[in-house]
Amino acid sequence: MTAVAVLTERIVRDTLRDDLPFAILAPAGNFIIFNLALRNVIDTGGIGYPQYLLPVIIVQVTLLGALTTVDRAARDHQWELGVRLRTMPIPTLAPLIARMLYCLIRGAVALLATIAVGYAFGFRMFGGLGHLAAFTTLVLALTLALSLGADATGVGISGAAIGRTGGASQILLVPQMLLVMLSTGMAPVDSFPDWLRGFVQHQPVSQVTETLRGLAAGNVAVSSLTASLAWCIGLVVVFGLIAMRMQRRVR
Amino acid sequence: MIELDGVAKKFDGNILALQDISFSVPTGSVCALLGHNGAGKTTTINILSTLMRPSYGTAVVAGHDVVQDPGGVRASISMTGQVAALDWQLTGRENLVMFARLRGLRRKDAHARADALIEQFDLADAADRGVTTYSGGMRRRVDIAAALVVTPRVLFLDEPTTGLDPRSRRTVWDLVSSLAAQGVTVLLTTQYLEEADVLSDSIVVIDHGRVIANGTADDLKRRVGFSYCAVSPVDPADLSKILAAVADLTDAQADEEANTVSVLATNGVATLSEVFRRVDQLKVELADISLRKPTLDEVFLHLTGSSAG
Repeated sequence: MTAVAVLTERIVRDTLRDDLPFAILAPAGNFIIFNLALRNVIDTGGIGYPQYLLPVIIVQVTLLGALTTVDRAARDHQWELGVRLRTMPIPTLAPLIARMLYCLIRGAVALLATIAVGYAFGFRMFGGLGHLAAFTTLVLALTLALSLGADATGVGISGAAIGRTGGASQILLVPQMLLVMLSTGMAPVDSFPDWLRGFVQHQPVSQVTETLRGLAAGNVAVSSLTASLAWCIGLVVVFGLIAMRMQRRVR
Repeated sequence: MIELDGVAKKFDGNILALQDISFSVPTGSVCALLGHNGAGKTTTINILSTLMRPSYGTAVVAGHDVVQDPGGVRASISMTGQVAALDWQLTGRENLVMFARLRGLRRKDAHARADALIEQFDLADAADRGVTTYSGGMRRRVDIAAALVVTPRVLFLDEPTTGLDPRSRRTVWDLVSSLAAQGVTVLLTTQYLEEADVLSDSIVVIDHGRVIANGTADDLKRRVGFSYCAVSPVDPADLSKILAAVADLTDAQADEEANTVSVLATNGVATLSEVFRRVDQLKVELADISLRKPTLDEVFLHLTGSSAG
């Protein structure tokens, strides 16, 4: 356990100067820009645009945050430090667990920052404590799922040329942009062409965003909550198994 | 104590990196693994430090089998690789504290240990700067200090002095000797024969994944079997004249840098007197003529049958 704590502290120290401030600024910046640009353009029906937008901003910064994990995991594997850790009397999975703990810390910080900025622009949590707890849990579950996938990717490509450039995270930027743009996070499903609606409605970003919106409003459909949880748990299990496998590889 | 018995390592594509490695290193002694690049030195160290599994054979480190009980091995060893294994975003002190805590020291004890190591390794001025700003010698010193946050029972040093200036190299040598005196078993790899000669109690020569010689430096020199007869003239200009006079003898060579002509002494003292008789006729003034043991370089060349690299 000490090893995990020490390695987590190490990442926090590493990132105090670059990544952690970004974890606060990114959601704030994203929220303000999208809110100013789109609030009078997109018809969200009965609810105000800040209330509509905030959940997808959280999903977006969770995706962006996971991208930084790709580079961190790749670096841990390329640096000789990673080799030395494997010759030390610590659990094989300690470095992975430490990276995931950091991702959860980062996710919690980003969530707090987003909600704080959202409140300034009129977003409100209408649900009670139970809804708030579910809201937080869902965001952190999504953070863990995406971070595990990013970690496995980072370790997987650490030997390849792209892994050595330090820009490995860029390769995941395109799918993440597409998933956010083609979701009901920014605009309701009616604003998409007919042939895209099926995908837009059911893909995970839309599912999770809808659930978060419901939890914020204080009334969430059980089917929506189940779908989102199923996505997150499924991804945690699949990506988690792959990430652990990557970590255990002994030549 | 380190023991390898018939260790082989096969990589993907059936490349045999190690074919048959067997040797042992007694507790508290220093053993040098000597060999060309690609001979199998680093693979051997990687197997002993649990980074790789042997394909065949057994290896035991400090009483723990590397395959059956890798955790026991890891608790007993420290290792420094060819490249410093540090967190490049932290300072020297932060790195040392981190490794000390990973080794189980409490926060306060870890700081005290880091302070002591900073003092011992002459890093006080740089301890609170990021390690990326360090020179090569300083990086190596922090790296070795990081391997000593707790005194290991077995220490692996993979080319510990490659790229170091003579003073830093001397520091590392002194350190290795004092660790061995404290009972630490040290296995180091090196391409420097001088280092193996000065530092180690025993030398294992590896070539193409096999142990081709194993013993003390003196053993190895004796194993070559022959001594060399060396002649040094007072005037270096006479070197070529001497070489011409003994050119028909085995392995006659002139070394201008050392101002010596050497001849393999196939008949021992008889060769010496033959060389002396011939040179005497040249009426050349001699500074020295002697029978000497081969240098480790000559032994190495003789054993591996190709140029040292």
